[in-house]
Amino acid sequence: MNQLHHYKEVWLGDFEFNAQAGERPSPVCLVARELRSGRLLRLWMDDLRGMPQPPFSTGPDTLFVAYYSSAELGCFQALGWQMPARVLDLYCEFKCLKSGQKVPCGFGLIGALTEFGFDSIAAADKDSMRALVLRGEPYTADERVAILDYCQSDVDALTKLLPAMVGDIDLPRALLRGRYMTAVARMESRGVPIDADALEAFRHNWQSVQERLIERIDKDYDIYDGRTFKLDRWAAWLVTNNIPWPRLPTGSLAMDDDTFREMARAYPAVAPVRELRTTLAQLRLNELAVGADGRNRCMLSAFGSKTSRNQPSNSKFIFGPSAWLRSLIRPDPGTAVAYIDWSQQELAIAASLSGDRKMQDAYQSGDFYLTFAKMAGAVPADATKETHAAEREQFKTVALGVLYGLSADGLARKLNVPPVRGRDLLQMHKTTFKQFWRWSDAVQDEAILTGRLRSVFGWAVHAGDDPNPRSLRNFPMQANGAEMMRLACCLATERGVGLCCPVHDALLIEAPAAEIDAAVEATQQAMSEASEIVLDGFQLRTDAKIVRHPNRFSDKRGELMWATVCELSGRSPA
Amino acid sequence: MNTTDTNLTPTEVSIHAAGETLKAKATATPPKPAAPDPFDPAKLRLSQGMTAAHGVKKHLTTIPTRKPSKEWFVRCHDDPAYRLETCVVDLKEDSETYLVAPDLWDYLAGESTFSPRLLVTAINKQGTLFLWPIRLPGPDGRHDEWSKSAMEAANIATKGWVRVQSNMNLGAYEAYEAAGSLGDPEWPKMPFNELLRIAFRDRYIDTLDHPVLKRLRGEA
Repeated sequence: MNQLHHYKEVWLGDFEFNAQAGERPSPVCLVARELRSGRLLRLWMDDLRGMPQPPFSTGPDTLFVAYYSSAELGCFQALGWQMPARVLDLYCEFKCLKSGQKVPCGFGLIGALTEFGFDSIAAADKDSMRALVLRGEPYTADERVAILDYCQSDVDALTKLLPAMVGDIDLPRALLRGRYMTAVARMESRGVPIDADALEAFRHNWQSVQERLIERIDKDYDIYDGRTFKLDRWAAWLVTNNIPWPRLPTGSLAMDDDTFREMARAYPAVAPVRELRTTLAQLRLNELAVGADGRNRCMLSAFGSKTSRNQPSNSKFIFGPSAWLRSLIRPDPGTAVAYIDWSQQELAIAASLSGDRKMQDAYQSGDFYLTFAKMAGAVPADATKETHAAEREQFKTVALGVLYGLSADGLARKLNVPPVRGRDLLQMHKTTFKQFWRWSDAVQDEAILTGRLRSVFGWAVHAGDDPNPRSLRNFPMQANGAEMMRLACCLATERGVGLCCPVHDALLIEAPAAEIDAAVEATQQAMSEASEIVLDGFQLRTDAKIVRHPNRFSDKRGELMWATVCELSGRSPA
Repeated sequence: MNTTDTNLTPTEVSIHAAGETLKAKATATPPKPAAPDPFDPAKLRLSQGMTAAHGVKKHLTTIPTRKPSKEWFVRCHDDPAYRLETCVVDLKEDSETYLVAPDLWDYLAGESTFSPRLLVTAINKQGTLFLWPIRLPGPDGRHDEWSKSAMEAANIATKGWVRVQSNMNLGAYEAYEAAGSLGDPEWPKMPFNELLRIAFRDRYIDTLDHPVLKRLRGEA
């Protein structure tokens, strides 16, 4: 417990709250206990609403401890309270301690308690109490007591869990993760502005739109029987079109979305089928979480993946896999949104952390792929995007694929070239970026020798009993990319930027139309600073795309499908 | 003790004195480390140097003795210390080459699989190190076109990346030099005798009882 001596008070807190899809949380009660004095607070919603500030200090000499704190901090936000300056989130720390390992009862509070040998409330009891909270007012006096007791049981759990975990926690970096949870609460509260009228119209006609969509797209393929995707027809179409489709070890065609995505890049004729399958499979319109104020709000699921990337629900989040849906994003009247992304973030991380000067030069050149092709001697020194577009595209696939451990055969498949060309291209990468490959080998060795890898701010992944070398080699790019994104979110939100959400290597912001340029500049500054800190001085470029009301956001990959859906719904795509 | 202290009761004096002592102690001991500040992340950065992997180095355990494949681009070591004129037994059916100890050369002179070779240290673009055995003129001084052209190709390969391909009509090898700048190879940092030891670890004939010689004599 030595680590906690810096703090005058350590408050362990938990809210119960009601949150309908797309809405901000509505706090029902708060229970909090101070660790050393044992002082207990049990506050019902009426008490909370009358409080202009939290019932304990939020200054830097007080530590606020919670499990999955973005929910608690979302209630702070909803109540208009000042955010705690120091947040320790035991969910983040449990996930960091166990990432990549098998956790029998999951990463929820029950899972953490079980892992550290404590009893917990039975899952069934937890579900029934959650249902009672979500039922909403009015509550009887007994129900109030029951909800407060239930809430207190989670706080009591934290008082056991914190002393058990604290010895394993790297507090300085844990507080940085807690800082990000504060930014998450702010972003989840703001949400993404959606064209609610268009969404409502699509939802209303969705069944018939889907049927007509199949009819429209399938007329060129003849794969569907009603709403059923027929595998034998798909196999026949592939043969007719001479497309070598990847197969599973069983010999069946691989039908997962990753395969479709990869093949759609190599064979553009596959792309409409992929978009149609995604659209139909996810029934996204019904589940997209949009509140009464026309804003998409959902849990960003911070630290959800092994590499610590956010992992929001594909069906609830507007930036899920269906690219066409993103055209529903439309700034409110008088405002604008901006999508700002780091330029070639993963390549830059690889170049910087590996210390490969040639790779760094390629990044700094502004066109990594063409410079790589020049360095490899595959195109003349005066080649341009225009004169050598095909070669550039090949070297782009190599440069990006290598970061994911793409094999020579996989590369050949992706590029639709003979395997020998795949081997040659991979060899060119190895020859051109020797230092990168030495470092990448060292990353894998480090993971196997020490059993884990860590990001610059200590996010760890454990190699486990059956390590996947491709994932291990890719970890530094993903985990440090996530660190960069988190730090940029912290800096931007703390400086008052209206940050809607992060999207992998990009941030979506909004501001009054007259202030959007300044907001973009502030965000780019935050992103630049974040890259410099994470990569020890190496600065990444960013690109920004501004969309002003009444225009809508769009993603190139989904523009055709958006136009088709609009046409089938009788709406203008504008 | 200052004048104010004289007005204190004995108990108060004692407490005050204790306080001074504690204060003095506190001054003497090093200050407590500052509380961690999540708003100064540059100080929280961990090295990505992969220190555990620093000791990991690649060990050469196999060095084939072979001609370069016709699709390979190869370089040959330009240091004469990385070449050796010697004699080998070449078992074509088994694709195996055996180094022969010099004191057996006279004994094997009439053996058809036995011949003098120049072993050249070479490497392909994929980084595979190998010893290229190029036939040397026999006792009669005759040097066929295949061997001469291979020797010439090996010499060109000391300066640039070369692909060596046989031309049956010509009855010789042709060397194709890569036009682009492909960089220099990374030669392993070990002496030639160590490379020889690895290449011929279990393929060294130093006695007449060697299984290969027995087989050639029809004894095995």
